[in-house]
Amino acid sequence: MSLEPQELDDLTSKIGRKPTSTELQIVAAEWSEHCSYKSSKKHLKMLPMKGPLVISEKGYDSGVLDVGDGYVITAHIESHNHPSAVEPYGGAATGVGGVIRDILSAGTRPIAIFDGLRFGDIEKDLQARWLFKNAVTGIADYGNCLGIPTIGGEVEFDECYSNYALVDVAAIGFGKKKNLIKNHAKKGDLVVLLGGSTGRDGIGGSQFASDSLESENRSAVQIPDPFIEKLIIEAILEARNQNLIHAMKDLGGGGLSCAVSETADALSIGIEMDVNKVHTRESDMNPDEIMVSESQERMLIVTNNDKLKKLDKICKKFRITCSVIGHVTSNNMMHVKKGKKTCANLPTDVVANATLLDRPSKKPAYLKNIEKEKKLKPILDYSKMMMKFISSPNIASKIWVYGQYDHEVGIRTVVKPGMDSSVLRLDNGKFLAAKIDGNPKHCYINPREGAIGCFEEACRNVVCTGAKPIGMLDHLQFGNPENPEIFWTFLESLKGLTDFAKYFEIPCVGGKVSLYNETPSGPIKPTPIIGILGLIDKTPLYSQKITTGNCLVIIGDTKNEMGGSEYFEYIHKFVGGKCPVVNFQESKTNMNIVLDLIRKDLLKTVHDCSKGGLAVAVSEICMTHQIGCNVSLEKVPGPKLDVDRILFSESHSRYLLVLEKKNTKKLEELLKKSKASYKMIGEFGGENIRFNKENKHVIDLRVDKAQKTWFNSLRELVVHG
Amino acid sequence: MAIFNVHVIIENKPGISDPEGETILNDLVLKGTHSAISKIKTAKMLKFTIKEKDKKSAQTRVKEICDELRIYNPMVSKITIDVFDS
Repeated sequence: MSLEPQELDDLTSKIGRKPTSTELQIVAAEWSEHCSYKSSKKHLKMLPMKGPLVISEKGYDSGVLDVGDGYVITAHIESHNHPSAVEPYGGAATGVGGVIRDILSAGTRPIAIFDGLRFGDIEKDLQARWLFKNAVTGIADYGNCLGIPTIGGEVEFDECYSNYALVDVAAIGFGKKKNLIKNHAKKGDLVVLLGGSTGRDGIGGSQFASDSLESENRSAVQIPDPFIEKLIIEAILEARNQNLIHAMKDLGGGGLSCAVSETADALSIGIEMDVNKVHTRESDMNPDEIMVSESQERMLIVTNNDKLKKLDKICKKFRITCSVIGHVTSNNMMHVKKGKKTCANLPTDVVANATLLDRPSKKPAYLKNIEKEKKLKPILDYSKMMMKFISSPNIASKIWVYGQYDHEVGIRTVVKPGMDSSVLRLDNGKFLAAKIDGNPKHCYINPREGAIGCFEEACRNVVCTGAKPIGMLDHLQFGNPENPEIFWTFLESLKGLTDFAKYFEIPCVGGKVSLYNETPSGPIKPTPIIGILGLIDKTPLYSQKITTGNCLVIIGDTKNEMGGSEYFEYIHKFVGGKCPVVNFQESKTNMNIVLDLIRKDLLKTVHDCSKGGLAVAVSEICMTHQIGCNVSLEKVPGPKLDVDRILFSESHSRYLLVLEKKNTKKLEELLKKSKASYKMIGEFGGENIRFNKENKHVIDLRVDKAQKTWFNSLRELVVHG
Repeated sequence: MAIFNVHVIIENKPGISDPEGETILNDLVLKGTHSAISKIKTAKMLKFTIKEKDKKSAQTRVKEICDELRIYNPMVSKITIDVFDS
């Protein structure tokens, strides 16, 4: 229980009496940071949330976007960091379950899952390796059992996550606009709890997520049951088709307390419920436990007496339990009874709206000198260094991870994981590209520019498939907000995201804030994760086989922006320098011209430059297509720089285009007109990846050897240590 | 020194749900005519063969190995260790 003394006073004065023990439990759950967003809510309002495609409805847990022809997509992002750090398999799996029910609660069918995973240094840290392995298995098992493809994500390792895990899960839903649940309820409607039984697992989970994970208080563990989840999905969608659902909410953090109070508050109704009616796993559970249990795979539904029979029939068919636990009243009270005895009777607006806080913020001291670079040891053999680099956990191919996920079930996945972003086929002939990105190394050095960079990178990734970004999900993960320095980094990131979203007119359709991400050795680096949804009206760019003589063109300048780069941190073990900054104007120009070139069918494939810089991006193209390439470093556009900076700077807004020679003239015409900075920098062919300067090979790698290393090193590391 | 067989049973702690056991009960056993069964719990068993001086130290040693190597997650599971003469 984590109600602060002043919050207790606040509650007492608001209700005019001393709260009962059940009331305390309910309020502690709902007023926890995890459920109430008390530190962040005031500030989140700055994000633009409206747009021509956005459909907003009261009580939605996920963002809804109109994709035309009577169809909508829904999207949501969640994290399950604290539970996954304790029990990675169950924590990651139940994280997937939770976000899928958010999609379901809008009345849409979940069609894709994404996961962003972050752990400590798996090269040295056995615990990190254990967490990583089990979290991946947890996601794979859960998603695969449900028949929902896991089509993308990202994996990153950094010492700041030692003894901890960031497990972010995003999901996308698809459905007909007319089938969306229009949350409403009137007096006398019934409140039904559907799905798994309520047990003692996960008691106090949301408060647990709002405390720092220090040592032994790690009791909130949830056990995944994907088979019940699958039955719930099918039952709910059938009930939706028969119009049996007036309002719906999934049970996540805070369990029944939050679901009941938030539903009542959103719909301006009251709910009277009886804990004796809740189907429980154990017979001796007390009302407090029932109200805050976070047992998984449960949904709260509001329906009426006439429709209940039909709903019962559907539940019987799918063999899931559903119990009527209460009814809707008109007095705006949340009334919890056990039989005839009242356990809690609180105004819903008091429960659902914690007093929002104005946390103090202060620029962190560590930022003062962070941009100063130290003198680096010269690299004697870049080829050797490059082989080490492409086998490093952050750069190596993530095939070991996404290879465990079924990414094709549902037969929508037309561009598969391993490319910049995956693409899904929609029923109206359009396509949806989606990607999530984060970059804590950049965000640590500059929370504002780093966050903007994540946003731009996610946009770049969907642009590479020919998709126009239409909506954004943000997931803001930081340490303890009571520390003004950490709160400052949160605010800076948020302001950066807001500026970018406004400039590009990309509305924020959903998000999550996860604070108190602290490990025994301190806070995590600021880790905002951005998810981008992109829409393709006609056809996506299907990457074509690259053949000898094809040309490599780069769009965008390579600048001296090495701070937070993999090269600095992995090769030189140096944290510092200036992190890449997005020039909004340049970013927009480059994005538009790439989309135009794809639409005109001039390109074979497009890849963005990000982690590891130009050297890694070109190598990735070569290794994926198993063909060599000769790149002239002196042709790379931008200020004059040393070779290591040209190779490894992680400047944003850069795209690599591959095209046939015969298309180059047309391409140059269009590029000139667009005023984008570009250059033809290389030609494909042979069996070696070569970066040349002044007729010397700075890097010279055999493609087949590099490919083998890049492809297998992560698996080798995890499986054989 | 003697040889002992040590059986380690790993199962979910009481109160934590066991979807596999429940599925076997509801979808297999109770679908037949075995209504006398009221509960099924799944568990995993590891059988160690160990050389130690006595039963007690065999048990302690195996427990230490299980803890050290994270063979089970103490947050979720409990283990029961039985020692037999080989």
